[in-house]
Amino acid sequence: MSVVVIGLSHHSSPVELRERFAFADAKIPDALTLLRASGIASEAVILSTCNRVEIYAATTLEPAEAFAELKQFLKTAHAFENPLGEEIYTLAEPESLHHLFKVACGLDSMVLGETEILGQLKTAYKIAHGHKHTGARLNKIFQRAFHVAKHVRTHTNIQRGSVSVASVAVELAEKIFSSLAEREVLVIGAGEMSEKTARALLSRGAKSIIVASRSHERAQALAMEFNGRAVQFDDWAGEFEKIDIAISSTSAPHHILDRAKLEPLMKARKNRPLLLVDIAVPRDIDPAVNFLENVYLYNIDDLQSIAADYLKQRKEEIIRCEQIIAEKVKPLLETNLAVRSKTDISAQSSNWWSLRDSNP
Amino acid sequence: MNWFTDRHFFLLAVAFYGLATVYSVFLWRKGFRRDDHVNYFLILAGVALHTLAMFKRGLTLHSCPVNNLYEATTFLLWALGLACLVYSLLPRFQFLCAFTAPLLFTVGVFALMPSLDVHPLPGAKPDFSNWLRSLHAATILQSYGAFGLAAVAAGMFLMQQHDLKFHKLRAMLSLMPSIQRLELITFRLVAVGFVLLTIGLAAGSQLPRKEGAPYFSDAKVVWSALLWLIYLESLVAHQFFGRTSRRFAVGVIVAFVFLLLTFWVTNLYSGLHHP
Repeated sequence: MSVVVIGLSHHSSPVELRERFAFADAKIPDALTLLRASGIASEAVILSTCNRVEIYAATTLEPAEAFAELKQFLKTAHAFENPLGEEIYTLAEPESLHHLFKVACGLDSMVLGETEILGQLKTAYKIAHGHKHTGARLNKIFQRAFHVAKHVRTHTNIQRGSVSVASVAVELAEKIFSSLAEREVLVIGAGEMSEKTARALLSRGAKSIIVASRSHERAQALAMEFNGRAVQFDDWAGEFEKIDIAISSTSAPHHILDRAKLEPLMKARKNRPLLLVDIAVPRDIDPAVNFLENVYLYNIDDLQSIAADYLKQRKEEIIRCEQIIAEKVKPLLETNLAVRSKTDISAQSSNWWSLRDSNP
Repeated sequence: MNWFTDRHFFLLAVAFYGLATVYSVFLWRKGFRRDDHVNYFLILAGVALHTLAMFKRGLTLHSCPVNNLYEATTFLLWALGLACLVYSLLPRFQFLCAFTAPLLFTVGVFALMPSLDVHPLPGAKPDFSNWLRSLHAATILQSYGAFGLAAVAAGMFLMQQHDLKFHKLRAMLSLMPSIQRLELITFRLVAVGFVLLTIGLAAGSQLPRKEGAPYFSDAKVVWSALLWLIYLESLVAHQFFGRTSRRFAVGVIVAFVFLLLTFWVTNLYSGLHHP
């Protein structure tokens, strides 16, 4: 019995197509029952996320035959009638196992090395296992894939560092402040990026969010969403005495905060550290404020450059990860080969005995 | 094994501090990214041998081994090494060992100079068999150890702050504590050192001295009082008058460098400590 994979991912197909083939979690058990009942697969797992839809199947069919049947199954299950070309990829052993391990380790993800996919893969496996659609073969392979993902995470830098602007800002805050628990965050200008950054800080324990926006209604809506407080745009400077982190993303054509304005505010703050995240273009904060003691100013380019450096580092780790995967997949393939040889020998031997019995 | 003296044990300890220093350079070049404990165990081995050396010397003297410059320096280093081992157990503080190792090694090599380990003539040496004398010497040397470790933490603070200020990737990649935490640890170590120094000086003032000789006529006493004032000013200015973290850290380092450079000189000019 060999393991094959068929699927669509962000590498091969646009979101319009992926969403056509997506399986709702509630419908996966029925789809698996149907798949096994059709005789295509003895064991199967369906992974359906926003970036990929994949079927992992243990089958006795020849790979080419299994791929054709699985493709047809996918099309029928989603009432898709148009022809499919390279949007769907098919992988037989050993590539199918390598692929599963790479997915588990986040090496095939849109954000290289992300960990969310491992959780999604575990859920997909849990659903299949819970409904008894997996057996010895897939159980062993999936368990090993989860184990390898953990190993790769702890022994390489593939998941090290933040690769988005919001998470880099959070990481910076954690390098400056001993804890985010008591930190107050001021959001000046309620843009999408500042909202994401504030959300990320809140998720890491920031105490509260204060929002100041030219549109006070928008500020109030955002503050309500964060369980924070909205202030009039002209009053944001008055909050500087209390806050620890300020995220600025207004559309002002000039600097809204410069050294002359910040200097007295820092004295009032008794020189407590202040992290300024300027994600506006044109910039809201005069770069000269970074020369003030205890002020740490990062603009969008600084944050993006850190994220890019992290990504570069992660890319450099791919080779190490693939070496680990190759090492861990090898025994699985060898075991399967041994089982197959044993099955073939016993099949041949039973053929021989039946031939002998039929020809006395 | 009689030929294997306490100085040999100390020499071995310094060798371990040296190895830790070499490993520190490696960690520094790697940007303090590797989360390992090699340095910790090297310093642990060094401190164990160091303790053995001091214990052996103490047994020979039947008192706290702080009778000459060699013994005083080894005691200071021992306090520093021990405090470093304790503080390194705090989360994200494992690199404290990497920053302390060069200090332990450099001062350790200096302490090994034979001229520092002079055995005064009987009767001429300060008598430390009295518990007050031992308390005086031990607390003062422990305070120097705390000031030394505070200077190391202040150095870590300045490095991390510089990296964060100038957007160096090393600030993000290194497994160092946050600068606020480093500042807090520096402050606490200075405070602990200050309390120990105060106890030591208070104990010293109660010790018998020559008839009619005022306490503050001795060079070492004046120097210690100056040191006490320097650290007091540093703590008060930072805590109550808004001295910036950076200036506080620089001040702590400068004060400890001053301590290291002048400790031996004032000892030589002190009638009480170098009769």
